[in-house]
Amino acid sequence: MSTTATSLTGRQVWARARGLLTAATVLVLAALFMAAVRSGDQYAALDPRSPDDDGTRAAARVLADHGVDSRVVTTVDEAVAAAGPDTTLLVARPDDLDRTARAALADAAEDGGRTVLVAPGARAVHTLAKGVRPVDGPTAVEPATPDCAMPAAKRAGDAHMGGRRYDVQDERAEACYLRQELPSLVRVPASEGTGDTVLLGTSEPLRNDRLDQLGNASLTLQLLGSRPHLVWYLPSLSDSAPTGNGERGFFELIPNGWSWGALQLGVAALLTAVWRARRLGPLVPERLPVEVRASETTDGRARLYRQADARDRAADNLRAAARTRLASLVGLPTAQAHSPEALTSALAERAESDGMPDATRTHDLLFGPAPTDDASLVRLVDELDLIEARFTRAGAPTDPTTTPTKDKDRTT
Amino acid sequence: MALTGRTALIAALGALVVGLLLPGLHGVLAVEVPLLLAILYDLIRAAPVRKLRFIRSGDTSVRLGEQASVTLLLTNPSGRTLRARLRDAWPPSSWSTGEALSASRHDVAVPPGERQRIRTVLTPTRRGDRHADRVTVRSYGPLGLAARQGSHSVPWIVRVLPAFTSRRHLPAKTARLRELDGRTSILTRGEGTEFDSLRAYIPGDDTRSIDWRATARQTTVAVRTWRPERDRRVLLVLDTSRTSAGRVGDAPRLDAAMDAALLLTALASRAGGHVDLLAYDRHVRASVRGRRAQDVLPAFVEAMANLEPELVEADARGLTATALKMARHRSLLVLFTGLEPAAVEEQLLPSLPQLTQRHTVLVASVADPLLEKMADARGTVDAVYEAAAAAKTQAERRHAADLLRRHGVLVVDATPNDLAPTLADAYLALKAAGRL
Repeated sequence: MSTTATSLTGRQVWARARGLLTAATVLVLAALFMAAVRSGDQYAALDPRSPDDDGTRAAARVLADHGVDSRVVTTVDEAVAAAGPDTTLLVARPDDLDRTARAALADAAEDGGRTVLVAPGARAVHTLAKGVRPVDGPTAVEPATPDCAMPAAKRAGDAHMGGRRYDVQDERAEACYLRQELPSLVRVPASEGTGDTVLLGTSEPLRNDRLDQLGNASLTLQLLGSRPHLVWYLPSLSDSAPTGNGERGFFELIPNGWSWGALQLGVAALLTAVWRARRLGPLVPERLPVEVRASETTDGRARLYRQADARDRAADNLRAAARTRLASLVGLPTAQAHSPEALTSALAERAESDGMPDATRTHDLLFGPAPTDDASLVRLVDELDLIEARFTRAGAPTDPTTTPTKDKDRTT
Repeated sequence: MALTGRTALIAALGALVVGLLLPGLHGVLAVEVPLLLAILYDLIRAAPVRKLRFIRSGDTSVRLGEQASVTLLLTNPSGRTLRARLRDAWPPSSWSTGEALSASRHDVAVPPGERQRIRTVLTPTRRGDRHADRVTVRSYGPLGLAARQGSHSVPWIVRVLPAFTSRRHLPAKTARLRELDGRTSILTRGEGTEFDSLRAYIPGDDTRSIDWRATARQTTVAVRTWRPERDRRVLLVLDTSRTSAGRVGDAPRLDAAMDAALLLTALASRAGGHVDLLAYDRHVRASVRGRRAQDVLPAFVEAMANLEPELVEADARGLTATALKMARHRSLLVLFTGLEPAAVEEQLLPSLPQLTQRHTVLVASVADPLLEKMADARGTVDAVYEAAAAAKTQAERRHAADLLRRHGVLVVDATPNDLAPTLADAYLALKAAGRL
């Protein structure tokens, strides 16, 4: 007996999937190739490993040639740990630091080392460089003359300076490269010890693309090379405040292992999805029959009457139906049912014999004018029913419940 | 391949292990790798689905409203026990709503090399052929973590025949027929027009029925006896066009017409008539002719099983031509159609004279009980308008019926439940009057 199986064999699956697999492989290979060609790590600005225009690899190399070893830290903990009397700490974006980080750095700056702040704003200056106040409105970065007694600046001569400017109140501070009377390079010695803090209005002199111009290289070397160790602190997004500071996020409060537990739960959810998604065989299609109620057209007509307020038509229809039934009740041929004279006289004859009143009223009901509002239409129908009921009772006095109208359409 | 809830549950419990005991990637791997191995083991150890053998047997036809039972003989030729969930898929109308899921699924356990019978019970909700779809098997591994899944195509057809609910009227109508036939009453002139036999005169016999020629040959006075006509022809014509599609109650008009047609067939074939069937809208949908009395009813039922109303306007001219071709001798033509004024006036009336010329024509139409209910609606404005519309429709139907009667056509208009007995009565009346 040949097999009745409809599932694909392994060979058929392979034959079908071959093309797709080839296409996918080509796609992946192409992507890898493109990635390899256009490779290059993405570094942040001022990263000493970055060869980009805004990197500082050139400066780091030159410093290394002069015996200064560079290292990069990305968290405030590491930066604080690395600080010391023989270390220069360069803070790339001091404004990105939160309050606790700035306080930690300010403490570290007291250790006797040099802290270089690149373009610090108001908040950073406030904690890290007492006695200096930033001035709003940065200026363009242009070649500028040192104009001060600071040895490093003097030796370097003209350099690209500008950017943020500072208002210096501390008398011990040295202010250089004045732009519109305000300095963009400030050195504030620490209150005690040998440490100092240097504020650079701009990062331009450090950058790869500017280092070989004017006195930038000299200035950089002297500012960053005063200690044998140089730490580049590049604040990152994951940089959190040092532990033990009270303000911790929800996820930090969860024990460490539970992020892995959540990962495992994710796997479980995935398996649940696979379990529930697999159907036991495909759906079976079927041709469905037409579903139209036979009374649909009558319903439609009723709604049309209602919408158009066709009281005249409705009354006509109901009166005609009542006349037909009455005619058969009083033994009048159907052909004469709609003639006023014949029907009214036949009804009157019967009514007289049974003591029923009002021939004119009956005539009005059956042949009168159309009702003028909905209420009178409803009333008309009720009265027609009443007349019919009277004649039914009169016509069949022995059994008042029979309705002789029911069988009339059945057979010949 | 398919996974089970057990796999997902183990993975979820694994989250506890990872969270409490082994936080870290090694913990996740410590859960995932054994689970994956267990799944692979299950997949390898599950009985193969492809090698299973299926043989179907069981009912091939069932009356609408009754149960059909179809059996699958499943053979497991592999060396492993088959623990599986099996779905015997049929079209949705093979079961009433909500029943399909439990009726089509079966849990089976077949040891290696053995076979098992699986019985699927169908309770179809509509007429017509039900084709078996495929049989899908999900074969679980010994751990119950993963399963192999595959389908087999095991064709089978169950034909769902018209319910023929009106057969409950058959005994009463047959009794009436016997009375007419003379088997319970004396044969006298007036009960029929067909010559039956001669017998000796008994005082009280109608003197007009004395056969003088036979009397002359014999020594006693002989009278002729008569019986109702036998070997008369009846042609049932089902109009399957759009007018037959409207639902009256919970079935289309066509179903009610079929029911009445079947009762008439049973009655007429018992009365010794030849009954033929034609279903027509724009071309012939079904036609049965020349069957003997014993197998005419099954043949009709078979032919009707797959008839569905078509949403087209009937071609009355073609219908007339086909009916005339089928009814070469004088017959009773029963036309199951609607009393739609437009359809009757424009389509049926022009071609009627051709039919009435040679045949007795009876038009049977399914009335809508809802219409009567609507005509009696009172009280609110909406109800009165409804009553007015229903009165209008009734008047139109009556007018159409009157038109047909004026052309010498008999008209039977009754609700689905009454149509079959009323039509049978009309047939018996015709027979009694000798108009066949």
